[in-house]
Amino acid sequence: MKKVTLILMVLFLAVSFTNLFALTVDEIIEKNIEAKGGKERLEAVKATKATGKLFAMGGMEAPFVMYHKRPNNYRFEATIQGMSMVQAYDGETAWNIMPWTGSTEPQKASDMQAQTVKQQADMDGLLLNYKDKGYKIELIGKEDMEGTEVYHLRLSNLGMLEGMTIDMYLDAEYFLEIKQTMKGKYEGQDFDVTTVMGDYKEVDSMMMAHSIDVQMGGQTVSTLSMDKIEINPEINDSIFKMPVKEEKTTEKKEPEGK
Amino acid sequence: MRFLLSLAAILCLSTGTLFSADSTATEYKVGSYLFGALRAREIGPAVMGGRVSAMDVVSSDRRIIWVGAAGGGVWKSVDNGTSFDPVFDKYTQSIGSIAIDQKRPDTVWVGTGEPWVRNSVSVGTGIYKTTNGGDDWKLMGLEKSERIGKIIIDPRSPDTVYAAVLGHLWNANEERGLYKTEDGGETWEKILYIDENTGCTDIAIDPQEPDIIYAAMWQFRREPYFFTSGGPGSGLHKSTDGGKTWTKLTKGLPTGELGRIAIAVAPSRPSLLYAVVESEKTALYRSEDLGETWIRKSDAQAVNGRPFYFGLIVVDPQDYNRIYKPATMLSISRDGGETFTTSFGGVHPDHHALWIDPNDPNYVLTGTDGGIYISFDRAGSFRFLNNLPISQFYHVSCDQQQPYNIYGGLQDNGQWMGPSQSPGGIEGKDWQSIGFGDGFYTFADPTDNNVVFWEYQGGKIYRKDMKTGEQKNIQPQPGGNDPDYRFNWDTPIALSPNNPGTIYIGSQFLFRSSDRGDSWERISGDLTTNDPKKQRQEESGGLTVDNTTAENHCTIFAIAESPLDGNVIWVGTDDGNVQVTENGGGSWKNVVGNIDGLPKATWCSSIEPSHFDRATAYAAFDGHQTGDMTPYLFRTTDMGRTWESLSNDSLIGYCHVIREDLENPNLLFAGTEFGLFASVDGGRQWVHYKEDFPKVSIRDLVIQPDESDLVIGTHGRGIYIIDDISPLRQITPEVLASDVYIFDAEPYVMRSRGGGMQFSGSAEFVGDNPSEVAKIAYYLKKRHLFGDMKFEIFDSEGKLVKTLPGSKRKGINRIDWQMRLKPPKVPPAKTLAYQALEGPLAAEGVYTVKMTKGKSTYTGRIELAADPNSPHSAEDRALQHKTVMRLYRMQERLAYVAEAIKDARDQANDRAEKLKKKDGLRKELEKFSDKLTDLHETLVITEEVQGIPGVEKLREKVVNLYGNVIGYWGKPTDDQLKRIPVLDGKIDEAKNKFETITADLENLNTKLEKKKLDKITLLTREEFDKRD
Repeated sequence: MKKVTLILMVLFLAVSFTNLFALTVDEIIEKNIEAKGGKERLEAVKATKATGKLFAMGGMEAPFVMYHKRPNNYRFEATIQGMSMVQAYDGETAWNIMPWTGSTEPQKASDMQAQTVKQQADMDGLLLNYKDKGYKIELIGKEDMEGTEVYHLRLSNLGMLEGMTIDMYLDAEYFLEIKQTMKGKYEGQDFDVTTVMGDYKEVDSMMMAHSIDVQMGGQTVSTLSMDKIEINPEINDSIFKMPVKEEKTTEKKEPEGK
Repeated sequence: MRFLLSLAAILCLSTGTLFSADSTATEYKVGSYLFGALRAREIGPAVMGGRVSAMDVVSSDRRIIWVGAAGGGVWKSVDNGTSFDPVFDKYTQSIGSIAIDQKRPDTVWVGTGEPWVRNSVSVGTGIYKTTNGGDDWKLMGLEKSERIGKIIIDPRSPDTVYAAVLGHLWNANEERGLYKTEDGGETWEKILYIDENTGCTDIAIDPQEPDIIYAAMWQFRREPYFFTSGGPGSGLHKSTDGGKTWTKLTKGLPTGELGRIAIAVAPSRPSLLYAVVESEKTALYRSEDLGETWIRKSDAQAVNGRPFYFGLIVVDPQDYNRIYKPATMLSISRDGGETFTTSFGGVHPDHHALWIDPNDPNYVLTGTDGGIYISFDRAGSFRFLNNLPISQFYHVSCDQQQPYNIYGGLQDNGQWMGPSQSPGGIEGKDWQSIGFGDGFYTFADPTDNNVVFWEYQGGKIYRKDMKTGEQKNIQPQPGGNDPDYRFNWDTPIALSPNNPGTIYIGSQFLFRSSDRGDSWERISGDLTTNDPKKQRQEESGGLTVDNTTAENHCTIFAIAESPLDGNVIWVGTDDGNVQVTENGGGSWKNVVGNIDGLPKATWCSSIEPSHFDRATAYAAFDGHQTGDMTPYLFRTTDMGRTWESLSNDSLIGYCHVIREDLENPNLLFAGTEFGLFASVDGGRQWVHYKEDFPKVSIRDLVIQPDESDLVIGTHGRGIYIIDDISPLRQITPEVLASDVYIFDAEPYVMRSRGGGMQFSGSAEFVGDNPSEVAKIAYYLKKRHLFGDMKFEIFDSEGKLVKTLPGSKRKGINRIDWQMRLKPPKVPPAKTLAYQALEGPLAAEGVYTVKMTKGKSTYTGRIELAADPNSPHSAEDRALQHKTVMRLYRMQERLAYVAEAIKDARDQANDRAEKLKKKDGLRKELEKFSDKLTDLHETLVITEEVQGIPGVEKLREKVVNLYGNVIGYWGKPTDDQLKRIPVLDGKIDEAKNKFETITADLENLNTKLEKKKLDKITLLTREEFDKRD
């Protein structure tokens, strides 16, 4: 009899504990913002420049530099065999330079690519000030993900392609983002892309991920490994704008600059 | 605070008691995370499909097809069957019914548990619902129903749903009959119930007046050795008030006991109904007055064949006289059921699901034991969708070829063999059909891979010559004084691990052959209980006799010879015996009585003698055919005298197979009806392997010894392979307790593989290949979150060869090393030099791996070894490597020369810019620059041209030669070798020209100095090398 009471009591306490500690979406996000340095600190960042190496499937690696500048400018540039691969956005136009297509001319990004680039360009990330952007965030639950306890959030109404959602997983102990899966439809077919964040390091009183894996179909297709993140560097806005095509001339070209 | 303290005390106390209760209890707990990166790859095959049990299609958009497989879960296509995705992997894979809410097509109901109750049928766990097209599912109850045959949604209010619950197949239960919910599945009411032995198999609803419902009730029961269809519970019922009250329909229907009934309302005239009624004389019945009276129509074989397996009838949506009868063959009546003709079109027999487009009745989908077929001409001709990997394997085996092949037998799809890898992935064309019938054990003869043993149901064993295709029946035959041999549906065949070429087969007796089945020696008496009550298969079936060998009983079901002693042979029988001989069959001992906790007569599903100890063996038992779903696993270490149970709460599903690892006796694998389990501590704890792996029935497991791969035979999802399980072999409590552990790896054998070219669109199922690169495997006790995580690989001289980012999850991680050095530097140009994106292959030998995790470092090693089967001699390989490295250096030298030219030219231009246009020095600098530009243009492509210019400059010539030489791991051709000095000479030439142009640089620099401009300095090789 005594034993039964004891078990019941433990059960009761466990239940009330869960209630005690059950967090709402906003409390979880608040803790996430705190863990990353706090709202004030994060908003004080006007621009960043990250440098490092891009590791792609098949053993390829390329140095890269990634710029962010408020309100929503973004440029990613990786170099292979001295050629630049660029993905950029100036708040209006998302564009690319994709040398492997046989051309080094800048091209407008497809509507699909533009989605991710626009999202990338938001320096707040997905969680900070999410209500102002009209995002909806739902707590799916506290669950086990690959053996780690996480808060599973689902973001929708992202102003992206129709029906697109992002499932985000925050480490339940430290409240930092460790994984997110973007799901959507394109031409009727489902697609999903997963991003894994890690190697968090302190930069100017902020906690920032220094490693980002992109996974498709469970396989890591690329890893961005950041050596250095500079806070508020001088960045000329022109690098975010899509260059105007040069007129072809028969004259000898200007020597290529650095 | 005091409250918290007392809580802590309670928790401590209770955990303390838990552990002290059993002094041998493990101090650690492992979970599914442990497997981590040891992901299983799905290799199909899909070429023969597998049993489809249910189907529904969005009626307003027939591109959206939902398929329920008998054992392979739920699949969704959004492109008219061009491709399918599994959407139900976390849940029970045996599907009974699917219903799309046609008003809200993202809402779909799935009833689990197949209703076509053959001997090998699986079990369900309730009814599930998605409201977002299959992304998320919720269990909506009826958990104990075991099988749900049909779901119908009220067309007026989609939260009103009817579920026809067959209930348990092997025992009585009360959760069966017709259920109804009016709140979207939150609550269910049982609206029609006969008794605990009778379920509801089929329902039909009047589309115009949906309160009129017809329900077919069926009394049925299966035993391990007998099946009964029919009884007083069976009957056809009708309600006109949404299920509140019911009337039994009898007018015109057969008197006497009924069996399974299929019912359909004609959509174009709902007063007209058809029913196939199993009785003493099974026939099709037709009613023209809302079911009140019935008129007997055809009783042709097309209608009355195997009612328990084909309880389905479908009426054309626009022509009420056109009826489809899915059965062994698909038959069609065009005259309201008077006569039937059989549709052909090369379709796999055994039709269980059929859908006709209500807006275009030419379009017909049929689901069979061999997958899905589409017809565009009312079932006149069919196109097969060969992209559903839902094959149901009973057994798998591997050979020891390189790469190895996998063999197996499948439910109603014969026996197949296919490679464990193939260029571009494993496709339908890679699989080869071996025999016919229902397939079971299939093996290549270990002494001659060209010889394959295979069987179909009831022990019909064949030996096939794979080159000629000729096959010989080698089944043992009874002699004059012998009783008839009883062979199980799934008759065991075993190879001797000690004497390659020796094989065993079991009826009630055990037979051994050492001449590939040309002669057999009987090496036992009857090893079963030989209970005559369990040998009535000729009477089995109930109202319709169905003796297909599926109910053969009192037979041997498992045979295994000890790998340590060929005289020790274990046998398990379907009627619950475990027999062992220690003298090669001279005498046998039944040891099953020594197993405590095992109910009598429980089917022995698998026996695994240990690879480490002659007296140790493992046994799995499966009581599901008596309604006992408990997992039973046992181990003996004394030849069966005593047994210990290895089952506990961490196992779910009844057990089909247990395997012991070939190297670590503590590593065990078990396959149950609900998935794959592993134990790293000899069976104390079982871990469910479920990340990215369906909850599918696992019937067989085999470890391929050369590759250490675990090959998984599923009954519903084809074959999966977990490549290289060696990290699991190294798991110990110490490893689990360490923060980081880098696993040892066998030397990685570098193999050159071929390629090809194929563009098969989206419709082809392509099984994954293993990754062909070296791997570094490590364990992390906790997910890595803070600080760096990287790997550096050093060669034997301590030179850094490669840096790799690390993966961070808890459990086993595995990262790829392509075994290549950095790609060569090439001169920048206007195009990419694709072949130079790949670095040279790393040399054979031992490499040191340094792992950095935050502030800590850890060291491991990795070894690259040559392929012992390589057709190339060590000298040829060395020559290839030497040539590659020479071309590697040539590219770098060319890159340097081109860069030095460009660098000097850019400096000249820079100085010129600073001078007045008419300045003589400016002109001189421009001339100097032009010469350099001309020279640079001979080396690299500097202009971007629209189209495919196909220009080759010196860079392209060197890079192409490099690409051709690294692509072949043997001796380069003479022409390639001769080409090297030619191209090398051209680099020298360019360098010389550069030196000539810059010979007078001092003079130019003096003039620059006079103008107070910076001198032009030439880039040195050292400076160049320092650039990244």
